[in-house]
Amino acid sequence: MISAENLTKQFIVRGVPLVAVNHLSFHVSSGEVYGLLGPNGAGKTTTLRMIMGLLEPDSGYVEIGGLRSNSKSTDIRKQLGLISTSDGVYPWLTVREMLMYFADLYAVDQELARERLKELASLLDLSNFIDQRCSTLSTGQKQRVTLARGLMHDPPVMLLDEPTRGLDVVGSQAIFQFIDLLKQRGKVVLLSTHRLDEAERVCDRFGLLHRGNLQFEGTLSELRQATGKQHLVDMFIAFINAPHANELSPEA
Amino acid sequence: MNEYLSNGRLWRLCQKELRESLRDRRTLFTLVLMPILVYPLLSMALQRLVIGANTKTKADTEFVIGVENEETANQIRQLLEEVEQTISRGFVSPISITRTGEPKGADPAKSLGDLGQGDDSRQDELTKFKIVMSNQDSLAMALRDGQVELVVSKMTVDKIQLEKVVVQAYEIRAEFRQNDLRSEAALAGLRRATQLVNDFQAEQIRKRVDRKLPVAMTLRATGIAERTDLSGSIAGVIPLVLILMTITGAVYPAIDLTAGERERGTMEALIATPAPRFALLLSKYVAVVTVAVLTALANLFATWMTLSFGGLGQALFGKSGFSIWTLLQILPLLVIFASFFSAILLALCSFARSFKEAQAYLIPVMLLSLGPGLVTLMPNVQFTTLLGIVPLLNILMLSRDIMTGQSSLVPAFAAVFSTIIYACATLVVAARLFGAEAATSGSQESWSELLSRPKKQQMLPDLGELAIYLALLFPVFFVASNLGGMLEWKGSWAWFFNAVLLFLLFLFLPLAYAWYRRVDIPHTFRLGGGVGIDEPLFRRMFRWVGYVAGVVCLSAGLWMIAFEAYLLFESWSLAAQLSEEKKQRLKTDFLAVPFWIVLLTGAVAPAIAEEFFFRGFVLSAFRSKLSGFRSVLFSSLLFGLFHVMAGSVLSIEKFLPTIILGIAIGYVAIRTGSLWPGILLHTLHNGLIFGMSRFTEQDLAKWFGNDTKHIPATWLFGGGLAIVMGVAILFISSQQRRIHEDSI
Repeated sequence: MISAENLTKQFIVRGVPLVAVNHLSFHVSSGEVYGLLGPNGAGKTTTLRMIMGLLEPDSGYVEIGGLRSNSKSTDIRKQLGLISTSDGVYPWLTVREMLMYFADLYAVDQELARERLKELASLLDLSNFIDQRCSTLSTGQKQRVTLARGLMHDPPVMLLDEPTRGLDVVGSQAIFQFIDLLKQRGKVVLLSTHRLDEAERVCDRFGLLHRGNLQFEGTLSELRQATGKQHLVDMFIAFINAPHANELSPEA
Repeated sequence: MNEYLSNGRLWRLCQKELRESLRDRRTLFTLVLMPILVYPLLSMALQRLVIGANTKTKADTEFVIGVENEETANQIRQLLEEVEQTISRGFVSPISITRTGEPKGADPAKSLGDLGQGDDSRQDELTKFKIVMSNQDSLAMALRDGQVELVVSKMTVDKIQLEKVVVQAYEIRAEFRQNDLRSEAALAGLRRATQLVNDFQAEQIRKRVDRKLPVAMTLRATGIAERTDLSGSIAGVIPLVLILMTITGAVYPAIDLTAGERERGTMEALIATPAPRFALLLSKYVAVVTVAVLTALANLFATWMTLSFGGLGQALFGKSGFSIWTLLQILPLLVIFASFFSAILLALCSFARSFKEAQAYLIPVMLLSLGPGLVTLMPNVQFTTLLGIVPLLNILMLSRDIMTGQSSLVPAFAAVFSTIIYACATLVVAARLFGAEAATSGSQESWSELLSRPKKQQMLPDLGELAIYLALLFPVFFVASNLGGMLEWKGSWAWFFNAVLLFLLFLFLPLAYAWYRRVDIPHTFRLGGGVGIDEPLFRRMFRWVGYVAGVVCLSAGLWMIAFEAYLLFESWSLAAQLSEEKKQRLKTDFLAVPFWIVLLTGAVAPAIAEEFFFRGFVLSAFRSKLSGFRSVLFSSLLFGLFHVMAGSVLSIEKFLPTIILGIAIGYVAIRTGSLWPGILLHTLHNGLIFGMSRFTEQDLAKWFGNDTKHIPATWLFGGGLAIVMGVAILFISSQQRRIHEDSI
């Protein structure tokens, strides 16, 4: 469903070229959860932005459901849902207003949007506070609103950018349940995270990204076989040269 | 794009932004509370200023009185001497002590006492006068320029013997500057002097012969209406305050709806949606402008209340005070200003990553906008035509002039038109900046992309490109066309200058701009032959014969319609009002220019240059987003507006004829897919109009019959027929054209 081919992006930072993503290729199919793993600065967010068409790759391309991603194409963005670490809510809007607003942004028909809202309200348990302003919600409630927001246009592909950063155990658990739900619905899920332990729990396949290069790709058992290590963290450290190992601690 | 502009979706997007802004207490604070607090305070401060200035002039300055001859000068000196004697005798006028606090601007004959309030101890102190002599005209000028405070035009002194006492009855006629504090203070001083002498003589007569004073002294003063230093500058303060308050209203929502999206963490989700950035920004823009206009309304209302009920309005604007009519004229200006400034605010805030950063960008802008505000406070700075294109300053100057009732049409039109163009261009820039930073993770790409040459070729310029080009073009065009008038070139040179200007601004610069932005030039400017691909030669020729024949037919009828449309505007008195003599002189000047020069520079050159721009660049830019019909309409509207603004006079009468011509050529351009038939039509049209104006009224009478003004009905009928034929020929000969998909 998603295939990235030879994606490359270079930034000029203070006159010095910096390769953020280097000839990255991977493929994720429907119903699969793919973990794009790497320390901070590995190129995960840049990759996601190229998938969304917010950044134009220097070379290579992304194809989603047969459509090529580029900055002009709006059709491809309708296929994508995005839930990210820092997602916020509009404090002065009610939950209903905010979700209907996003339905409009995705050009979802009003009738359909109302039905989806009803469905999501029961699925994510929003009914009690759906007409409250977002500023009055608790952290957990806000998180559920954000998850519902990502599903208002029912995208076949869901991009999760560090969804658990800054969340407690309960919050993280909600995310895992959400990923399970997406999987059941046959969505393509691309999870970008540096929390290797969490990725181990939910992902079907992994791509280990370091300094813009895909170091290794495969299922957990394939990785174990190839590296002889039991856990992702150990594998990562084994892959990457010792001087950079400190970047790998989960809380980095 | 269209799914965001239809089904009320754009309106729902606007609603969200409005809800966000209006539910926020901070917005409401600036909207409601500020006007309530600021204006009464401001009015108190201004009142102090008026009074302060008044007491100051009274205490320590010498007023200049202008007279026409030595006799009057001596009479005034005599009067002043008598006043001095009266005071030295310790006489205190019984009346003047009780007369305090007459409102300024009231009937001057009554305001004998003090102008301001308080300060009674100085009541009878002698006002110092200096007398200058000159002739009538230069005195009138000196009075207007503020070099003298009063002009005593006539003074008679009658000696009246009442038994033992001799009294002098003075009759003074004076002129002063109405609403000018210094001049009015001088008048009051003179009045006090005559009153004092009058009271003293009355007292003497009552004491010594126990009779009433038979003849009272008269001081008749005529005010000349001139804008005065202080009230003029206060009239400048009010628009400045209104505009500053409008800005204040817009600042918070502008930051909140742009940088605020980043701060709340909703920006990423927002730009990940397929909604076009322009739609997102447009909805934010609507919200910001709405809040700004609401703030403007609240402020305007508060100003009106303060001025009407605080007495300050009368002090500043004369008897009628600050009228509702002035209010209604200022309001649209504030709306236009709000539209412009909101776009600027959004552009700046779109670039900011956080609230703090946005504030850091805005503070210098707010301070900078005070600069033009201070300029408007200088009463000597006139709102000239060229200032009409200076952003911000133009609206401020215009509102100042409206408040003092002195606005003039050309700079007003330039101010409004240019501000709207600037607002559009700024909005385009804002839409490109909005979210760009979030997408490119802090690289400088967003700015450089906006200015640098794009890497990819584009088929047509988009509307944003047009808005930016117009914002660059209009001031240059305006200055250049005024320059033509200023150079006072006569005859053929003026015609050549005009043609060169047209080529530069409407042909070369758009071509250069299109090249720089990598726009497909042949496609955009419709340089193709307007024929099908691989068409056989005879078919091509058939098409071209059709195009030429169609265009010739059209031009045969169009000039009549243009001419009648011109007369229609003239009958509404909208055309420039010229005296017969001036008209005659213009005609003589026109006839002095050889006809081939008129044809070359007035028909061929404008046809080529304007067609490249209006039917090439502009029409294609509209076509990139709109239907053919709408594109033709909008491009013709611009075509008309540019013709109205040409030169240093406003030619409103050209508006309708130009729009009609624009629509006709727009149709030809889209129908044939080529620029060239339009150029031919434009040349023929201009040539015919100029050709007709070469004839004298006697010549015209031969053809037109008695009514030399209007075209005869039979001619019009023939013209209408020619137009129908032209359209039909063009329609048939342009069928099955495959090179351009563009069609109506």
